[in-house]
This record gives sequence, C-alpha cells and structure tokens, in this order.
Amino acid sequence: MREGLYYSREHEWVKLEGKLARVGVTDYAQKKLGDIVYVELPEVGKRVSQVKEKKTKEMELGAVESIKAVSMVYAPMSGSVREVNSALQDRPELINTSPYNEGWICLLEPSDPKAELKNLISASEYAEFLKGLK
Amino acid sequence: MGHPYIPNTREIRGQMLREMGVASVDELFADIPAKIRLRRELKLPGPMSELEVKRHVQAMLARNRPFTQMPSFLGGGVWLHHIPTHVRELVRRSEFLTSYTPYQPEVSQGMLQALFEYQSMICELTGMDVANASMYDWATSLGEAALMCARVAGRRKFIVPTLINPERFNTLQNYVLGPGLELIKIGYDSRTGQLDLSQLRRELGGDVAGVYVENPSYLGFLETHVNEVAKAAHEAGALFVVGVNPISLGLLRAPGDYGADIVIGEGQPLGNPVSFGGPLLGIFACRDDVKLVRQMPGRLIGMTTALDGKTRGYVMVLQTREQHIRRERATSSICSNEALCGVAAAIYLASLGPRGFRELGEACAASANYAMRKLRTIKGLKVPIFDAPHFNEFTLNCDDIDISAAKLNAELLKRDIHGGKPLRGEFPELGETSLMCVTELHTKEDIDRLASALAEIAG
Amino acid sequence: MTNYRQARWAGDAVLEPLIFELGKPGRMGYTLPPKLHEQLKIPKNLLREELELPELSEVEVVRHYTRLSQMNYGVDSGFYPLGSCTMKYNPKVCEELASLEEAAYIHPYQAEDTVQGALELMYRLERCLVEIAGVDRVCLHPSAGAHGEFVAMLITRAYHKLKGDGARTHVIVPDSAHGTNPASAAMAGYEVVTVPSDGRGRVDLEALEAAASEHTAALMLTNPNTLGLFEDEILKIAEVIHGVGGLLFYDGANLNGILGKARPGDMGFDIVHFNLHKTFSTPHGGGGPGAGPVGVKSELEKFLPVPVVEYDEKHTRYYLDYDRPHSIGKVKAFYGNFGVLVKAYAYILLMGAEGLSEVAEAAVLNANYIMRKLSGTRGYELKFDAGGPCKHEVVFSTEPLRRETGVSAKDVAKRLLDYGMHAPTYYFPPIVSEALMIEPTESEPKEELDRFVDALKNIAEEARSNPERLRAAPTATAIGRLDEVKASREPILSWKMYHKHQA
Repeated sequence: MREGLYYSREHEWVKLEGKLARVGVTDYAQKKLGDIVYVELPEVGKRVSQVKEKKTKEMELGAVESIKAVSMVYAPMSGSVREVNSALQDRPELINTSPYNEGWICLLEPSDPKAELKNLISASEYAEFLKGLK
Repeated sequence: MGHPYIPNTREIRGQMLREMGVASVDELFADIPAKIRLRRELKLPGPMSELEVKRHVQAMLARNRPFTQMPSFLGGGVWLHHIPTHVRELVRRSEFLTSYTPYQPEVSQGMLQALFEYQSMICELTGMDVANASMYDWATSLGEAALMCARVAGRRKFIVPTLINPERFNTLQNYVLGPGLELIKIGYDSRTGQLDLSQLRRELGGDVAGVYVENPSYLGFLETHVNEVAKAAHEAGALFVVGVNPISLGLLRAPGDYGADIVIGEGQPLGNPVSFGGPLLGIFACRDDVKLVRQMPGRLIGMTTALDGKTRGYVMVLQTREQHIRRERATSSICSNEALCGVAAAIYLASLGPRGFRELGEACAASANYAMRKLRTIKGLKVPIFDAPHFNEFTLNCDDIDISAAKLNAELLKRDIHGGKPLRGEFPELGETSLMCVTELHTKEDIDRLASALAEIAG
Repeated sequence: MTNYRQARWAGDAVLEPLIFELGKPGRMGYTLPPKLHEQLKIPKNLLREELELPELSEVEVVRHYTRLSQMNYGVDSGFYPLGSCTMKYNPKVCEELASLEEAAYIHPYQAEDTVQGALELMYRLERCLVEIAGVDRVCLHPSAGAHGEFVAMLITRAYHKLKGDGARTHVIVPDSAHGTNPASAAMAGYEVVTVPSDGRGRVDLEALEAAASEHTAALMLTNPNTLGLFEDEILKIAEVIHGVGGLLFYDGANLNGILGKARPGDMGFDIVHFNLHKTFSTPHGGGGPGAGPVGVKSELEKFLPVPVVEYDEKHTRYYLDYDRPHSIGKVKAFYGNFGVLVKAYAYILLMGAEGLSEVAEAAVLNANYIMRKLSGTRGYELKFDAGGPCKHEVVFSTEPLRRETGVSAKDVAKRLLDYGMHAPTYYFPPIVSEALMIEPTESEPKEELDRFVDALKNIAEEARSNPERLRAAPTATAIGRLDEVKASREPILSWKMYHKHQA
C-alpha cells in the first residue's frame, strides 16, 4: 500500500497527476492472482464509468490474467483513457514485481474527479478493508 | 456372481456397508424424495452377455451396406479414404483411448505431445501458425469462426457464399443467434461458379466482421480469385476465413498463402472413418496475432519446459479463454472435443509425409478428372456444371435425359453402385444435379463401371 | 510408500522427440495404389509448392506413438477419480462393434434403404435414453456435453419465442455449476444470473425465488450437484421456475449417481442432456470424441434439431424426418457421433436395467465409502457435511492441511500421481476452497479405494513432516511439474512457432 494514492474496493489504485489519473492494481491483487501472464489493456480513447456495486461493461478498463484466473480491472473514476502502459504487453510480470510503479496500467482523464473522489477510499481505509476480507 | 465391470460383488458391498455402519445401500438414496424415487425397474433391453450383444448389434448393423462392399461416389462433407491399419491400431491403445483431458500434464505427456503434433501439422497444411486441439466438426467450427470474427472486429455482419454447404450454413445460423449477427450471402457466376466479386465489394462495409469462402467449394470447384477476396476483405477491415477439405491441401495452395486469417475445415478424412457422419474433427487455425489467438475457441497445447528449465514438455495453455475459468465470458463453451480424432489425423499425416500426401491429392484429382472425362461423353449428362478447375468432387447434371437425380441413384443402386448426393433440395436452381466424389478408393474399373451404368440408364 | 513408475522415454532434454525431429528424407509410412495418368486441369498458381511434414517409415511412426502412449494414463492404467467426469471402465466389445465395417464405413448421405441398421440403432438408443431419463424424445446430434447444453439453450429460445415471450433474457445457474453451463447460456445470447448455494451445499431456495422472474428463460441444474449432493428440494425448485414460466434444464453429467433410482423427467426437468462418454461408458479419448444427446418433454419436441429418426410402421422401415417446421435446424453436420452412439447402445444392452441400477448403487457406495473412511482425517474436511450421504462423488477440502502446513490441494494431487493414481479434480467446484472432487465410479475395487484413502492419509502426514516432498511431486511420472507460466507468457503452439522462437 502506498499513501498518496486512492483505492477502490476492487483493488485498483489511483494516483492523481495534475489533470490525469494513473491507474493500476494493488499488491494484494497481484499476490492473489499469482504470476501474471497477460494484461488486456483498454483502447486509448475508451470512455469508462466509475465502478459501482453492480458492475456493468462500461466500468471495465481491462483484465489481468494468471494461468488459472482472470481478474477484471475496473475504472476507479469515470473518464477516458489517455495512455496505456504498452510495456505490459511484453512484460506482464511488471505488475507482480512493481504493481505501483512500472506495473501501472493506464492513464485516465477523469471527467468529474471532485465529485467521484469521495467514492474512493484512502490507504488506511483500504488496509482495514483488506483485514475484513481475511 | 460378480459383474465384469463392477468389481465389488454383492458380498464385498455388504462388507463395505458393515464397515460404514450402514444397513443397506438403499439408505444412501434415502435423501431422494419418495415422490420421485423410482420404484420399478427401467424398461430396457438386456442385460446381455458379450456374446449376445455382439450377435444382436452385428445383426442390426448387417442391414447396412458399407461402401467397402459397393463403390460409392458420395462426398459432400465427409469423404471416403483409406485409413492405414496402424493408425487405427495406435489410437485404440488404451492409454490414449481411456484417458481424459490432460489436466495433469505430468502424467499425460503422451496425449499432450500427440495433440501438439496434430496442431503443428494442421498449421503446415493450412499455412497458419496456431491451430487448436479440435472442434466438433467443420460446421460448428464455422459457427465459432463467425463469433470470433465478430469479437475481434467488433462488428455484426458475416459474409458467406450462396453455394455454401447448407448443413454448415444452418449450423452457422444457430451459432450467430446469441449475439444476433447478420449473415449475408454472396452469389456466384452461373457459368464458372466463382464468387461474385463485385457483389462482395458492394456488401463490404465498415460493419462486416468476416468473409468466408469454401475452397474447394461445396460443389467441388476451386475459387480461383481468392487473392482478391482476401484483399477486398482486408481493405474493409474484415477477417478472411477459409473452409477446407484438408485432403486437398497436399496438392493445393495453403490458405495462409493467399491471405486467410482463420482456416477451418473437416479433419475426418485424415485418418478417421466416415462412421455415418460422426465423430468428426473440426479444424480451427489462425495466424499468430495476439488479437486473434486470445479470441480463439477450444483447447490449445503449448510447449514449455519442466521447472528445471531444461526438459521439454507440453501443457494446456491460455486456459483463461476457456469455460472453466471465464465461464459466461469464455470464448466458447467447448470442453470435450474430438481429441482422439486429432491424434488419428496426426498419425495419418506423419505416415503419408509430404510426398505421400501430395501423391494422394494428385491421385484423387486424377481419378476425379478421369471420371469427369468419361461421364462427360455420355449424351445428356453435363459434367461438371461449372467451367472451373475442380479437386475431387464435381457436379453431374441429368436434366437433359429427363430423369431425376434421385431416380438416377435408384437405378445405380440396382446395379450395386451408390451415386452422388442429389442437390435439388438444397439448390433448386441447379436442376437435377448430383454432387459426386472420387478418391483413391476408386479403381479405374469402379469409374468405368459407373460410366457404363450411367450410359445404360441414360440411353 | 509407493513403487509406481510411469514409463519415461528420455532423450536429450526431451522425453520423446517431436515427430518433426524424427525421420529422414525419402521415408514414407504409407503406400498408395498407382494413380491414373490424367492431366490435372488445375492452374499452376493454385498448386502448392512445398509442404513441411515429417518423413517417417511406418516402423518409426508406430514406435513414436507407442512411446507417447506409454507416457499417458487412462482408466485402463489405474484409478482415475476425476470428479464429474465419471471415468468408468470402457467395455472393449463396445469398441469392437463401433469399428465394424457396417458401422464405420457407411456414409451419412447413403440411401436410407442402405443404412437401415444405423437408423434402427439410433432409434433404439433414443428409446433407451427416453426411458432412463423419463423424457419423451431425445436428439442424438450434439457431440459433447457443452454442445448439448448449447442445443438446450437454443430450444429454450425457440420455445419462448414461439410463445411470443420476448422478455426472457436470463438463465439462472448455481454458483457450483460446471463452467460450460454459463458459457453455453451466454453463447445462446442469455445473461447469466448466478444463485448461491446454502449451508447444506444445495441451491439456496430463497435466493432462487428472489432471482426467478418473468425474465427467467431457464434454470440449469445438475442433480446430484457438483458437490455430489442430491438436490432434495428439487420439486420445490421445479415449482419456483415453472411458476415464473421458465424451463428446467438438467445437466446430465452426474447421472451415474441416480441411474435407475430416480429420473430427471420425474423431477420436473423439461430438457435433459446426457454425457454418453460419462454415464454410458464410451471412452473419453483424451478429451473426446464424446456425445451429448438432449432429451425433451413432449411440448418441446417440435423444436428438436433435424433430422429425427422415425419408424414407418406401414413399410417397416426407419427414416430421417426433416419435415419439422418448428425445428431449430441444425447444430452440426449430419446426425451425431454415430461411432460413439454404437458404444453407448452396446453398453446399455450389456448392463440392462438391473445392471444400470447396480452401477448407481456401486458408484454411490464407493463414494460414500471414501467419504466415511476419509472423514475425520486431520487435514481434510467435508465442507458440507449435513450428516447425510453423498451420491457418486464427494468433495473434500484440504483447507485445514493448508492452514497447518502450507501445502495446497494441488500439491496433494500432484503427490497422488506418484502413487500411480490419477488425481481427483481440484479447485472445482468454485465454492469450495482447496477442493478435491473425488468420483471413484462403480469400476473401482474396494482394495483400490482403501489404497486411495491410505495414500491421502500418508500424504497428509508427509505434508507435516516433509512438505517439500509434496511441492517437488510428482517424481514418479514421465516428467515433473512444468512451467505453465512461461508456457502462457510466451506461447509456443506449433512446430512453426517453435522454429520462429528458436531463431
């Protein structure tokens, strides 16, 4: 976990970088999946909606796959995809080794950050959330 | 007395029940509500001893006339070829036959490697890079190919030739029901049978996911402009799917060489008996493009090493496409497939080799050509109806001798010959036309006999 | 503890070389009669120039595949307790009958008068399956279970469409269902709604009632379910689904647990599918071919795929009936996997009604025997132990062993391979963590069941004293654990790709 990041209950992290938001999956997620073999990246320009309890296709950013499981990556904020981390195409294992850094998945341009930020949780809240899962 | 397939006799079962502290086996079914508990014996034939079963089934099957006992000129989706005896022997080895999907690769390297070899040989035949470990048959492969094109291209239309095999088209219609894809048929030149390229270009828009041709076509002729079909499809952003009888690929160009993205077909003629139409072997192959491979249906065997990093081994890969992981988001629901038929195909191809396979193709084409030449001389018959090169199937029209194709066949049967498939029901515009097939099984004498019989009937 | 050794052909960093690495130019394993001298009127640009296939003599081909077979494991090799797969013994006479000329060398387009035997066999097999399942008609076309499920979903669509009921958009599936169920429903265009299992391991009735609505097209259910437990509330479940106008589909994968004891048709199921390669003992073939016939109650008969085999009493002949205006059409070419149908028919004749009943009794007894003998063994727990019996399969969890020693169900399964037994299914059903799904079938002698239970007990002990032994397992098989991560990260799926990869 890192401070300065926001989290979703679907195990995504968000880092605000000026007008943009960098998105990835958390250390918990990569551990749970195991060795990651493939990342389904979103298309640049794709519009997404912030993930809610009831999931829809519009909330899907992409997917992360190990050999035995697939985990959907949901949009922690509404917006459009500005950039994707194409390094993950050849080196999906970056998510395992560096989930918060080199394993970033995409850059979003959030459409309503002020309003939506309150739907995300802080690092300490995420830690509590993880404890509850066990 | 013990049952041969149930080693625990009543006595042993009694002993087990006592060990378990259970009074009777009925107790183990006590949770079935009385209302639905079957209290009578099922009304079924048997039980029979092995000897009785053999007599009974053999007597029943004796009312079939196999084509080994009379020359048959049927094709049209499954074809009659000689299967080398050792192919049949090897696939009956019980370690292959009685195994299941190789979920435990450590103990199943035999099946895994055999399937990898099958995949590899299909790639060589078709000019593709990746082939799966089998689908149910050509028809369902076509259904899955259309679904795959729609997924990859994100579009809703799929183009097929009007002269497509109707059973395949019908199956395709069912497969595209789910996502509601639209199927468009492209016509043909009435003289040459060739796909109408201008109509194709008119239909190709930004909403076409894939274009499908059969080559050789269902009616036996070759599509000579496939390069242009590929070009047109690709320019419109659609995928190009080609369906084949793989026996033709010893002689004919690989679809991969003329622009195919996906190749499907019927693998039955590669070392598998016709068996009244099943089990068959759906071929499904595509180019090594990550966008395609990840959307492929079916099982894929990949090469890897043991954890020592050195010893080569094989495992099922990319299982995250499949139903046991993705469930409702799987590329297909397919689980059990036609694996053993695929192994038979691999053994068959390995036995023929490149030269044998080419010779086989040449033999089939030569015999078909001889047949066409001889039959063409019979007054009143039009053989073939399309002016185009053919492989080993061709059309035979008898409109001019005032006899239906069905009646022609009845007459042939009286002479102990099985004629081709009447097409009137499928393509009424072709009149009294039959689809004939000739393979290496037919001797010159068989073909001459057909010719004299037809001459007699026509005269 | 175990002296098992699987055959192992060992070359240089390979077991058996790839067939492409064998042979020599000029060798051939096949002879053809001389071909006719004909001018092939095929333009040169349509002919192929080269084809890369191995060049081997028949001797080499036979040795290669014989060796590969020795590094494989089937029911004929030993215990194969794969849950929900019903790996029972395949009688060899069935194989022989399917290989007869009169079965193998007939073409589906032959004049009906020349294939009366085949049509009669299919007709009679249909009658048998109708009686076994308590339905009215059976379609023999589908090639596999999943194919049968897909056909059932197409029939469901046709049924609701004919009634003008366009609101039926979803299909309900229990969370314990086999993956093919939701996948087949999705292929047919349905949305999948999952209902949870309750504390007894059965479908949660309340949740089902809440999920069922006028949008429900069907419920897909296996009974006994994938936990090996009989859905004893099935009559209530049928009421709920029929009450909202939905259809009830029976996944026949687990029919071996109730043969002759109960019939899905009597439980209220409208559509019933069978796995001939499971219950009816046709060999699994390393993944196929199988057959997944679909049975229906009379009101759904009209939708069955064409053709249907009928009997004309007047002319005492069997024929293929295509005149069925409401049929969903074709779901594959021709009429089904006839070669497989012959084997299933022969099996039913061999067993008869009393034999099939005995099958269910012996299969269920074997599973309960394992359940009793393994219950209480430290390390293994029965997730849904309602104190009642299981049917033909039982699901244990190795979760306690994992908490104690860190080893997983996978590690236990891999170590089991060293005992010369195939591992049970693991990680399924998805609702049990560290699941081991054990289906012994009726083909297993008591001694083997005892050996299996002892092996599991030994492995648990080993996990405590020497967990590394498990993690290193298997070592008695042709090869040890494989790098599946590398295999999926850089897929090499053909000889062609292998070459490119080497370059």
